[in-house]
Amino acid sequence: APCPTPCRCDGDGGADCSGKGLPAVPAGLSAFTYYLDISMNNITELPASVFRNLPYLEELRLAGNDLAFIHPEALSGLQHLKVLMLQNNQLKTVPSKALKGLHALQSLRLDANHITVVPEDSFEGLLQLRHLWLDDNSLMEVPVAPLSNLPSLQALTLALNRISHIPDSAFANLSSLVVLHLHNNKIKEIGEHCFNGLENLETLDLNYNNLLEFPEAIKALPNLKELGFHSNNIAVIPDGAFSQNPLLRAIHLYDNPLSFVGSTAFRNLSELHSLIVRGASMVLRFPDLNGTENLESLTLTGTKIDTIPASLCEDLKLLRTLDLSYNEIEELPSFQGCTKLEEITLQHNRIKGIQADVFRGLASLRLLDLSRNQIRSIHKDAFMSLTSLTNLDLSSNALLTLPTSGLGGLNQLKLAGNMDMKGSLSAKDLQKLRTLSVPYAYQCCAFGGCDAYLNTNPDQGSKSDGSRKKIMYSPGEEVCEGSVAEDEGERIQLAVHCSPPTGAFKPCEHLLGSWM
Amino acid sequence: EVPPSCSRGCELCSEYNGCLKCLPRLFILLERNDIRQTGVCLASCPVGYFGVRNPDMNKCTKCKIDNCEACFSRNFCTKCKEGLYLHRGRCYSSCPDGFTTPNGTMECTS
Repeated sequence: APCPTPCRCDGDGGADCSGKGLPAVPAGLSAFTYYLDISMNNITELPASVFRNLPYLEELRLAGNDLAFIHPEALSGLQHLKVLMLQNNQLKTVPSKALKGLHALQSLRLDANHITVVPEDSFEGLLQLRHLWLDDNSLMEVPVAPLSNLPSLQALTLALNRISHIPDSAFANLSSLVVLHLHNNKIKEIGEHCFNGLENLETLDLNYNNLLEFPEAIKALPNLKELGFHSNNIAVIPDGAFSQNPLLRAIHLYDNPLSFVGSTAFRNLSELHSLIVRGASMVLRFPDLNGTENLESLTLTGTKIDTIPASLCEDLKLLRTLDLSYNEIEELPSFQGCTKLEEITLQHNRIKGIQADVFRGLASLRLLDLSRNQIRSIHKDAFMSLTSLTNLDLSSNALLTLPTSGLGGLNQLKLAGNMDMKGSLSAKDLQKLRTLSVPYAYQCCAFGGCDAYLNTNPDQGSKSDGSRKKIMYSPGEEVCEGSVAEDEGERIQLAVHCSPPTGAFKPCEHLLGSWM
Repeated sequence: EVPPSCSRGCELCSEYNGCLKCLPRLFILLERNDIRQTGVCLASCPVGYFGVRNPDMNKCTKCKIDNCEACFSRNFCTKCKEGLYLHRGRCYSSCPDGFTTPNGTMECTS
């Protein structure tokens, strides 16, 4: 079969003439060509009937040329064309006349042009069109009339345009639409019924716009699974916000100046696995999550919430991570029902004490951050069940002592900032510790602080020149191995990074003898 | 003026990693050659990838939908692997109830 220079033909109807600096569509292609790639050339216009000899063409790639004009008859005869790629060109309007006869067209790319006008008859006759790209153009409004001719359309992007408003019934006839991208526009307000007719829509992307109010119009979307409106200017998420969207799996709402979230906003979302609400500073009550039972990750920070409902773990049995930091929580309920919890973050609240049953049954808990609260007392059995706990942060509280039963598996413990805690810690209860921060340097001594250890074990660890051996030393943290046998490469006691480090001015031995 | 050494459509490149920044509106595709990643600029992403357009960068991103060969976005497939049926952007071994495939296509319709 003929294959004009400089194209490459695969002998099976495919012709690749891309990136050859061609000024025009090459002539002399086989009549049986079904795939033609002439992208990334220098073609500025398509004259009439330029593809008349290619009646079997199914895919035509013209992306990345300098197309500014397409003759109304340019694509005539292409009855079998399914895919037409015109992205990255210089078109200022949709070539509506040229598209008219393409009855088999399924995918049409017009993205990254300079389209400001979409003639009303633009997509007439394209009854098979499923995917339409109009993103990265200069549209000032949603092309409502042209979009009303597309009964088979399933995926549409109008992202990266200059759309500022969505009128009611903008997409009324798009009953097959599944995905709608409107991100990176200038959408400030939307009609309360603007999404009417989209009963099959599953993904709606409104990210990076200027929305001032919560998009109530989503109530018309019973099949919505993923909703994004992050990076807007929304201050309030009302009660019942998602009551008509029971299938929601993901809601992206960060980077909004949220000040209020209705307590019933997130009820009955049984498909939701993760919920992140940060900085809703006027929220007073914990949201009602009844019916949102498959939540695995909950982040709710920066509010005025002072109480966690006792029923939390009845509703959220599958919870794995819970971040309630930067609220005003004073008291903790029992998390007993949340047996899958792996991480709890409660830093920067007003918690005063930890009862025996708060963490009971949490055998999977690895990380517990209770730093920057006002905790004075912890029940001696509070950590008993935490067999998987490796990371405990109790820094900046008001503790006098620390109950260590149940903490045998810890490898990181932070107690700095508990200035009333003056007693020493028992190293034998914390065998696997690697990193420790304590209120006072001398409390490091029990964990292998250089002076203390070497004084009680003079024969170990000194080099022949008498200087002390420091195995690892990083600024602000002194690490001494209890006993080093470097020649044999064997380590008996593993290192503990303990801070603040002991030293000349913070000796383990005070004038009247050992602190221990 | 684009440095002569850069590949087509590239605005900034390095000898070791190919293109680092494409001309506006082109997609950058990161190809892996052993441990090295090489940037290439394209007007359309290859099969198995979709183009994500953002104000500051356009990128080819891998389709991550089960059994999907070509996709429109992260969660919408446009073509399934051999022998599977396409229905509303997902791939199935058979059409869901109430849907069939007309005249030999591999797409379920009601």
